[in-house]
Amino acid sequence: MDMQRRDFLKVAAASAAAATALPSVAEEKTSTVVVVHGKDLVKMLNLGIEKLGGWGQFFKKGMKVAIKPNVAWYSTPEQGANTAPELIRECVLQAEKAGAAKIDIPENPCSPEGKAFPQSGALKAIEGTSAKLFRPDHKKGYRKTEIPKGKICKSAEITNELLDADCLINMPVAKHHGGATLSLSMKNWMGAISNASRRGWHRDGLHQCIADFATFLKPTLTIIDASRTMLNRGPQGPGDLAYPNELILSLDPVAADAYAATLFVGKVKAVTTPFDVGYIKIAHEMGIGCGDLSKVKIERIEC
Amino acid sequence: MTKKNLIRLAVFLTCGYLVLGWGLPEAAQKWALALPRLSPILSFFGAIASRRAAGWLILLGIPLLVLAAFKNRWFCWHLCPMGFAAEMVSRLNPQKGWIRSVPVLNQMLAGALLLSAVIGYPIFIWLDPLCIFNGFFAAWREPLVWLNVGTAIAFGTILLLSLIVPNIWCHRLCPLGGLQALVHQLFHPAKRGAAAGEGRFPALNRRLFLGAAAGGVAAVGGRQLTGKKSADAIRPPGAVTANFNGVCARCGNCMRACPYELIQPDLGLTGIDGFFTPVVRYRHLAPQQEQYCFQDCKACTEVCPTGALRPITVEQKHEIPMGRAVVYRDKCVAWAKKEYCVVCQEYCPYQAVIEKPQDGVMVPVIDADKCRGCGACESACPADPIAIIVRPV
Repeated sequence: MDMQRRDFLKVAAASAAAATALPSVAEEKTSTVVVVHGKDLVKMLNLGIEKLGGWGQFFKKGMKVAIKPNVAWYSTPEQGANTAPELIRECVLQAEKAGAAKIDIPENPCSPEGKAFPQSGALKAIEGTSAKLFRPDHKKGYRKTEIPKGKICKSAEITNELLDADCLINMPVAKHHGGATLSLSMKNWMGAISNASRRGWHRDGLHQCIADFATFLKPTLTIIDASRTMLNRGPQGPGDLAYPNELILSLDPVAADAYAATLFVGKVKAVTTPFDVGYIKIAHEMGIGCGDLSKVKIERIEC
Repeated sequence: MTKKNLIRLAVFLTCGYLVLGWGLPEAAQKWALALPRLSPILSFFGAIASRRAAGWLILLGIPLLVLAAFKNRWFCWHLCPMGFAAEMVSRLNPQKGWIRSVPVLNQMLAGALLLSAVIGYPIFIWLDPLCIFNGFFAAWREPLVWLNVGTAIAFGTILLLSLIVPNIWCHRLCPLGGLQALVHQLFHPAKRGAAAGEGRFPALNRRLFLGAAAGGVAAVGGRQLTGKKSADAIRPPGAVTANFNGVCARCGNCMRACPYELIQPDLGLTGIDGFFTPVVRYRHLAPQQEQYCFQDCKACTEVCPTGALRPITVEQKHEIPMGRAVVYRDKCVAWAKKEYCVVCQEYCPYQAVIEKPQDGVMVPVIDADKCRGCGACESACPADPIAIIVRPV
């Protein structure tokens, strides 16, 4: 259940704060963003996780692990519309190594799943592992869930496996988005809800709905793939690409998104500061996390 | 049941199941849908009429012609699944005498098909028995849309007819039977007149001539008819434009093959000669997944037995405009309500929807040159009513 994940978060944060220098969102009111720069995503991921206290902080034996990449589009890994498959694979392998009871990778894609999952490389990435990549069934795959702190989005049909996970990893790709300006980690939850729910968000105030949802679904860890970033014609592309060669990791999704947004300054016209992305500004104001990067500790690692 | 009929039953059930396709892998279904191509009427007359060879699968029409040259209508009495069904139902009615008063139309029909195909509008091509059989079994699929069952009507009609006038289909009407008889007579001139099993009628020449003349007149008329009306609906990709209603055999293959359930029988949009021809209907707000004509899919064009949908490459598919999207700004949540939306831009695989800043939000504008009418925008539009709709070109 969701409570288990929250319990885990508390335990993880408390034990980490006591034992290491792992920052705690709840206690210190500051956030840390780990930015790993390099070419080898697998190495970068492991270095970043090490900085956050190692995989053991996140995956434990018997846990139900859910990973939510962005593999929504019929698009190749090089085109930057989907999360890099090697990140998905490494995460799955580490969860298996830790003895996770179940590894689910649910995604409600935009292109047909029979096209998006193979083309994104995700299907191949989980080959030979126990992880399951799937589109939730529109009738049974989601649970209608109240969002108590939501201002516009007061309830949503959320993927069962994401609600039930003990460890929830949000693993989006950073890219341009025609409707939401940028697609980052909080935007990635639109692949976690049913079509009926997400269609409503576009009608009713997209940015507020994205932030509302983030008040409820809290990832254990956010990992943003910014190895290549689509600068226009997103979210599907193909668009022009930049190559920041960065991997962004944080326990605070708002801080992670705010940092990722800075990679688009000067490249996407509408973005001059992270707060130009509506949902980052709203999420910061609602206190979901810290979007003000002057108050965020950024740890840079060269790989 | 005799051994022969047991074999016929097995053929009927096997072919029926293959076309029905329940539980079959996708690749197997594609091959099963090649069944109508065994009929030279669909394979050859279709290719002649559409002025295109529908791929090398057209060669599947040859065996039946060769068989007919040697064995006359052996196929009809041993393998044809439509003929088997018609014959079995005919047995339910003991009044065999009725058929004597019906003229032998099958060879005339075959003659009519021949000349009208040359003219480009093969009249009654949809009377082909394999097409009718296929159309029946292709209709039953999930989700069951009653409109889709349209292609099953001809099968039921033949059975009903067989109940009223036993054996009328095989002995009097079937153009494929007529064609086989004509071919056989061509190689066995001595048997002329007796080949169809009825000695009382004048030989080959007159029937063929009468049929061809009638078919020619009808074909010219048909071409006049069809050219005017076919633009009122969205056709599947690769559709021949001028004579589609004539060349299409209504076999239901394209409807069956579409993985996104977008193709349905027409009920009048494409003119009076267009009933049950395939038209594309985009489904709005489907709960499980957006349903649009996927850019790299050409499944419908791979199974058309007549060439009404010509075989195309994926590259050609990307260039074919099936229709064109139109934004209705008064209904659009971005234009009318100033919401951040442009889901249409998000889904468009051809980058034909451009987001343009307007009053602080992005609004969608269509680049008509890039739009292929695939319906991705229409199927994903969250506005109520839908604010972006694909119109025929």
